Amino acid sequence: MGEENRSGHAIDIENVSIHYKILNNTSVRGSFWEKKQRNIVQEAVKNLSFYVNKGEVLGIVGRNGSGKSTLLRSVAGIFSPNQGVIDLHGHTVSLMALGIGFMDKLSGRENIVLSGMLLGFSDAEIQEKMQEIIAFSELENFIDRPVYTYSSGMHSKLAFAITAMLETDIMLVDEVLSVGDSRFQKKSFDKMRGLITDVNTTVIIVSHSMETLRGLCDRVLWIHDGEMREIGETEPVLQHYMEFMNK
Amino acid sequence: MLILLGIVAALLPPFIAWGEHLYLRHGEVSGKRKILYFLLYFVLIHAAVFGVAYYRGVRGLTWQLVTMDYELKHLGAGLVCAVLLPFLGCLVLEPGVTLGGFRKYGRRTLTDIRKYSQYVIRSAKAHLRSEVANSYLDWLWWVLEPLAMMLIYTFIFGFVFGSTEPYFPVFVFIGLTMYTFFSRNVSYGVTAILVNKAIVTKVYLPKYMLLVSHMVLNAFKMMICFGIAFVMMLFFRVPLTLHILCFIPIIFEFFLLTFAVGLIFMHFGVYVSDLSYIVGIALNMLMYLSGIFYSMTRFPEPFNVILGKLNPVAFLINSMRDAVLYGIMPDWLTYAGWLCASLVLTCIGLYTIYHNENAYVKVI
Repeated sequence: MGEENRSGHAIDIENVSIHYKILNNTSVRGSFWEKKQRNIVQEAVKNLSFYVNKGEVLGIVGRNGSGKSTLLRSVAGIFSPNQGVIDLHGHTVSLMALGIGFMDKLSGRENIVLSGMLLGFSDAEIQEKMQEIIAFSELENFIDRPVYTYSSGMHSKLAFAITAMLETDIMLVDEVLSVGDSRFQKKSFDKMRGLITDVNTTVIIVSHSMETLRGLCDRVLWIHDGEMREIGETEPVLQHYMEFMNK
Repeated sequence: MLILLGIVAALLPPFIAWGEHLYLRHGEVSGKRKILYFLLYFVLIHAAVFGVAYYRGVRGLTWQLVTMDYELKHLGAGLVCAVLLPFLGCLVLEPGVTLGGFRKYGRRTLTDIRKYSQYVIRSAKAHLRSEVANSYLDWLWWVLEPLAMMLIYTFIFGFVFGSTEPYFPVFVFIGLTMYTFFSRNVSYGVTAILVNKAIVTKVYLPKYMLLVSHMVLNAFKMMICFGIAFVMMLFFRVPLTLHILCFIPIIFEFFLLTFAVGLIFMHFGVYVSDLSYIVGIALNMLMYLSGIFYSMTRFPEPFNVILGKLNPVAFLINSMRDAVLYGIMPDWLTYAGWLCASLVLTCIGLYTIYHNENAYVKVI
């Protein structure tokens, strides 16, 4: 890959490996008397390299436990890879996942502000979008009640509304397009479609729903046991994946 | 008794230093090296302590002349060395903890503090608001709660046990306020990452910001309490002196100490699931060893001085009372010692938190 080709890339991922180290020294006593402890290393993502073009929508498929969510979290910067480089070329990024981080005791409104700040938005920018978020989330007067009073549906709707309205350059979507009632699902699907047609927003979607992937993605990446199996046009990759899964 | 104390003075400091070293290296020291390091710290610490003793005119070691006082001083100096030395030891001996690493994380700390300060303050404010949102008396609780505690302790220790300290209610109130701040933050530190799992696994933030935010919240409450304490001082006609200005350096060191201890427990708390019990017990013990309801002078002769100096919480609480209530200057030498120790501990804590932040998210 030459430097000149990269100008259109939003994300470059090179030789990325992510390990989970299962730490043994949980007991204080053990760390004194036992010999050097071997930590068990589990590889979740192995030597993965790919890129995502600016404005593109990339779908990721794979069995449960094949490292999809780990990869997304790593791209979102929640933890850095053990090896390799994830280059976002200075773009801002947000991860949309089930049960987004809310502080339970705080009101929905406070949580919007705090989540927005963690995503790198300033107070003024958040206030500007506040009405839009509240309207989209359909929470109405629940917005000033503490989050622990919300139903799980309301919880996810608010989470979706925050990440969808506070648009970052790169959006990582982890299995959240099926939240809420059918009306909200349609609304969020349309919102995603809107983001996707936007040439400035790059999206990575992890999903087990073939229709979602067919409807939204430009390309699809198939991960199997942490390794790349295939990447390319949506249709052929999905077909191969289905064949493999039905075997 | 003396011999026992001598053995403790000889073995405890290197043991602590050794433990600190192993903790810093986090299970990556092999069996043979562990013994080597213990011997190394034993030699280093005692060389340092005897060096100081020699310099101060204690020459020639004869067991008959050794006094309790001497042994305790020896133990004290050894402990201070024990806290400081492994830090240097790890810098020199180990590749994992490097000078370059410290420089890197140091710079990161500065940029992160600038970047997240808004978030920290906002989050602290939101939590304060949520605490009172559903109660009838609103923010009055922040005043009522400490006042009620003060009345209880004043009654029990002032009247039932008959304490004679002048301005006893203010005396208790200051101690209680400072201890509450310390204990709340440290016990929050233990569970901070687990409690905030939802946030930590969804978005990146430097983990210690969780602790800082909680400290800001508690600092706000503490300042209200100091406001009350000031009003009480006027009420009890405590003579006001310029020594009251010592409040600022003392409270600064107190913040730093709390932060450092909180950070280290925050790191442990992720891996050691029963730590919150241990910390609970330790904090309770600390409460009684910090002389909150009584002056440290109530302890028998050598222990009061030792405890007053070696227990940083007790030292800072006493300095605060002395300065504010009785117009006595703090012992600046001890102050400087604990300031250094707090700084070192803060550096260790920040380093560990940064160094392991990837691991936290994967473990919880």
